[in-house]
Formats: sequence, C-alpha cells, structure tokens
Amino acid sequence: MSAISIIPERCTGCQSCEMACSLSHEGSCSSSLSRIRMKKWEEISVFMPTVCQHCEKPPCMDICPTGARKRLPGTDAMVTDEKQCVGCKSCIYACPYGAPAIHPATKRTMTCDLCKGQPLCTQVCTAGALSYVPEGDPSMERKRAFAQTLFHSMKTR
Amino acid sequence: MINGWTGKRLRIDLSLKKAWSEDIPPADLRQWFGGRGLNASFFSQHFRSPVSPASPENPIAFAVGPLTGTLAPCSGWTSIASFSPLSDFPVYGFTRMPGHFGASLKAAGFDQCIIQGKADRPVYLWIDDGEVKFEKADHLWGKETTETAVTVQEEKGDRSVEVLCIGPAGERQIPFANVIHRLSWTGDRLGLGYLFGVKQLKAVAIRGKKPVTLQHPKQFLDLCLGLKDQIHKGQKIRKLQEKGALSLLSREERKDTRNDNRWLFPGSEKQWATSLWANLSGWEGCFSCPVHCGRSVQDQEKCLAGIHLEKAWHLGPQIGVYSGEWTLKLHRFCQAEGLDPFLTASLLGRILEGVETGTLSEEDLRQMDEIEDQGERAFALLRRIIDGGKDEFDLSAPPVSENEDLDILADIVSFCMIVVNRLNLMTVSNIIDLMNGATGYALTIQDLQDAISKIRQMESRLQNKKLHWNDQSTLLHLGKGQISQILRKEERRNVSDSYRTAS
Repeated sequence: MSAISIIPERCTGCQSCEMACSLSHEGSCSSSLSRIRMKKWEEISVFMPTVCQHCEKPPCMDICPTGARKRLPGTDAMVTDEKQCVGCKSCIYACPYGAPAIHPATKRTMTCDLCKGQPLCTQVCTAGALSYVPEGDPSMERKRAFAQTLFHSMKTR
Repeated sequence: MINGWTGKRLRIDLSLKKAWSEDIPPADLRQWFGGRGLNASFFSQHFRSPVSPASPENPIAFAVGPLTGTLAPCSGWTSIASFSPLSDFPVYGFTRMPGHFGASLKAAGFDQCIIQGKADRPVYLWIDDGEVKFEKADHLWGKETTETAVTVQEEKGDRSVEVLCIGPAGERQIPFANVIHRLSWTGDRLGLGYLFGVKQLKAVAIRGKKPVTLQHPKQFLDLCLGLKDQIHKGQKIRKLQEKGALSLLSREERKDTRNDNRWLFPGSEKQWATSLWANLSGWEGCFSCPVHCGRSVQDQEKCLAGIHLEKAWHLGPQIGVYSGEWTLKLHRFCQAEGLDPFLTASLLGRILEGVETGTLSEEDLRQMDEIEDQGERAFALLRRIIDGGKDEFDLSAPPVSENEDLDILADIVSFCMIVVNRLNLMTVSNIIDLMNGATGYALTIQDLQDAISKIRQMESRLQNKKLHWNDQSTLLHLGKGQISQILRKEERRNVSDSYRTAS
C-alpha cells in the first residue's frame, strides 16, 4: 500500500500543503478546509504536518456508529462517506493522530483521500518533508538518510 | 465582495477600546491592487500633514494583497505603514514584513488593519476569526518575545495562533525596536517596536479560519503549481536555500559594507561563515513559499527559532565581528529584546568604529577599550544602550525609495521581492495571471504601471519630497550614507530633544 511519508524535521512551516489541499478539494484557500494540518512549536523551531495515516487497523472505522468511515478502492485511502456521517466526531477522538477535521460548512468529518493516488501536498512540498511513497517501504527515505549520516560519521572518524 | 479580497478594513481604537470593521470600496481595491497602495491611500485620505509618531492618532497600518493567504508562491508578505519615529520630524514610513502574519489577517477576514489610539494600561489584541478583544497584558509587560508569544498561545489554548509582539526594547520605546512573529519574522526599519510601545500594545494575536475565495480555482491551482516548480528549480534558489539572503550580497557590496577594511583580513569571512554554519540546523519558510530561506539555530541541544542570514551578516562581518558565536549571541539578544538587527548593527558599527578611532571617547565608552574581542565589545555595548536608559538615541529613517518598479510591484501585491526582483524567478505576466485568476480582473501591464506611479506620487506627497526616479536601492543593507547620518543626528540631538518636548 502506498503512503504519504512525513519527515517532520524537514518541515519549514510554510503551509503550502494546506493551501494546495484546500484549493484542490474545496476551490478556496484556507487551513480550516485542509485535510492536512501543520502544527507548530515555533520557540523550538518544530513544525509537524499531521494527516490521516490510513491505518491498517483504523480505530475510526471501529468506532464510527454509522459505518461512514470507508476504504476507497484503488488507493486504500480511509475516507468519510458524507451521506452516512452524522458529525458525532467520534473518529477524531479515536484517532491516535487526531487527523480527522470538521468541515466548517457541512460539519461532517473529512480526512485525506490521497487525491486519487497523486497527493497534491507531496507535489508542492519543496522542503521535502512530504513525499508519496508508492508500493513499498514508506520509511525507506528515513532509513537512507540515517544510513548516510552514519556513513559520513564513520568516514570522518 | 471581489474574490481574493475580503473587502473589509479593521479599525481599532485603543483609547476607547473599540474595534469596528469598514467596507473598502471595490473600486479602491481595483485601483491599488494590494497592501502598499491601500496603506498609502488611507494615509493620504486621512492626514493632510504628518502627526507625531508618539501621538495617539498616529495609525499603524497593516495591509495585504489579493494573493495573500492563497497558494500563490512567495505571497506571505505584509505591508506596514506609519509615521516613523526614526527621523527628527515625523515622516510617512513604510516597510514590509515576511512571514505568516498577513495570511492570518486575511483568514481572520480583513484586508487591512488600522490601529490607532493609546491604551492606558498594557494590552494585547486578540483577533479571533473577525472578533476583536482587548486583553490585559500587564503580566506580559517586560517579558521577552519568546515568552510573550508562548504565553499568549497557551492562554488561548491554541499553538496555531500567530503572535506579533514587541520585546522589552519596544516597551522602553527605543526607536529602533521592531516587532516579531514566529520568533523569526520581523517588521524592520520603521520603528514599529517604538510605535507599539507608545500605544502600550504588547502584542497582536491572530487566528483566522475564513477561506480566501478565488474566481478561477482550477486555473489558479495549475498556475501556482507551475510557478512553484519554476521557482524551486531555479538555479539560484539552491544557494538562497543554503545561505539565505546572504548569498545575494555581491562581492562589491561585501567590500563596501565595512566602513573601511581595517577589520577585514583574509580568511576571516570564511572563518565567520564556518563557525556560524556549524550552529544552524533546520529551515523556515514564509507562508506558501517554495524557497524556505530562513534558518533555525541549534544551541547546545536546544533549538532556537529562526535566523535570517542577511541579519547575521549585519551583526557579523559588517560590524567587524568575525566570531559566529558572538554573531549568534547578538542576534539572539536582538530577537529576545525585539530590536531591529539592521539598525542595531549600523549603530553598533558606528560606535565600535568610534571606540577604535577614539572619536567617541566619552566616559562610558572608555572602558570598552579593555575588552579584546570585537564581538564581546559589541555585546557589552548593546547591553549598555538597552539597559543604560539611553532611549533618546535618534536614528534617521531608512531610505525608503526603491530603484525599480518591479520592487514596488512585488510590494504592492505582497510578494517576496527577493524572488521577484533579485532573482527574477517570477515575471510580471506571471503576477498578472495570478491576480486575474484569483480576482477575475482583466489586468494589463499598463494597469499595474499606472498603479505603481500613482502610489509613488502618493507616497512622495506624504513624505513631502520630490520624486526621485533613480534612487539607489538600499533595501539589503544600510550603506555609508546611513551611518554618517546617524553621526550627524548625534550632533543635532539637542535640537531634536527640544522638538520632542515641544510636540
């Protein structure tokens, strides 16, 4: 299964991902309409994008009283069926990431739908914090980065 | 309402503790295109002659353009205008601030925000999605910028709030104090810290959730994606990412920045850069920017928020400090106290030179000779200026004229002038396309040119001076002229003192 890989230490807090997400899904720009959210702790320069992880064992699916949380065929993305959702917010509390958000207009929850397999947020992230890792090891880039650091430190010793 | 705009102006009166919103006529928005024009037109409508910067009626104006708060690349800048305290006689001054404040203002539902009046006790403004509250700030008064921002965010229970605040320097009404948000992005060269301090306004905290609507979303999205790619792949961008705006200083400019080259010895610059680089860790970006030229500082396991390397240059080799650690210390001090690094550096440079040549051999400066390290000397001197109650230090206003229309254009639409003007990674037609996509206007280059010349005329009228079309741009650093002006100011201090008492 493909996944959005997040490397938080590379995030610069520019919020391009939020803007791209809300623009492509809703046609207007706003953080509150975005499926991906940047969290910040500016005094320690930590910026962290949070987005639905499309878990293998999704707690949101288990807790949803109306069965509105569904998996999309093709990308395996977990999404909310707006017709079935009653806006009870259970999925937000059940989610270990707090990833689902309330749509300001419909008051239903919304999560990342992986943009039909081409997530826009990963395309606009020029800092390299977000990338879409198709079919394979989502942590490959992190492993590679760590291996490189290790290699360098061994070389300089 | 025109798409891209909110069509509202937020008016705040701190004396009466009142806030209200006004409609900005669509014709005005169409005519001025954005922040700088809106501010200039507000000032020329309301003020026939300049008012004293310390007077309650002196407004602080923040304004943004139609592309602020959208995906448009490098659109995170805010235009700010006021009558500046940085000259003997009040003069209309304007500046621009990178970062995230403008986008939050737009999301809160306003294109422009005008703050007037004077609070009787320290306050901070809490603008929550269009609602304004005046909160007590007694407990924040005297606190450093970091602590202020974090305290306000914790009080509001939301770390996503953007807090624009002053530090103790602004509270003490030091003319070259600045405002800072996200502990990294500053509004410099206008004396904003002084203006906030006079109004007893400690901070402006903003949270906005309103969407920015667009006329042609699909077209706009494609345009933005194309432009982001174009900018990101630009040859010079890599350098800018690594070295920040420092990479833009040319060889000649670097030579020129020292008053003379007595401090410059071979290899020292490189040594400075190496020791500075060793302390940098991550990157920071303005709102919706594909460049990310801000850097964060790693200080003994603890990450300290951003440094922008052109500021580091000013607090480093420009004043003869060739130790990266001391540059960082000076920068950290400016950041915590809320001091304008550019003006602080030009002042320090002058004084340090005076210390060396003996021209400034006043009693309190004499002991500076005993300190060996130039960086330590700078630090001690700055401490002395801030703590010694010398808040009468008078600095001239930075030259505010630009040499190119492109620069003004970038400012009008709240774009990053480094990307637009210095690196030319976005053309005028790109900007026109973006504006048309967002607002549904059918702009031509001629329209923009008309607006630029009108704004120039308006600003020169406000500044009461003749139009100079070929003024040298001094945006990236303050040159010799600036420094000699400061010296002249010292001589004229008695005159300005009497003026201040009279006003």
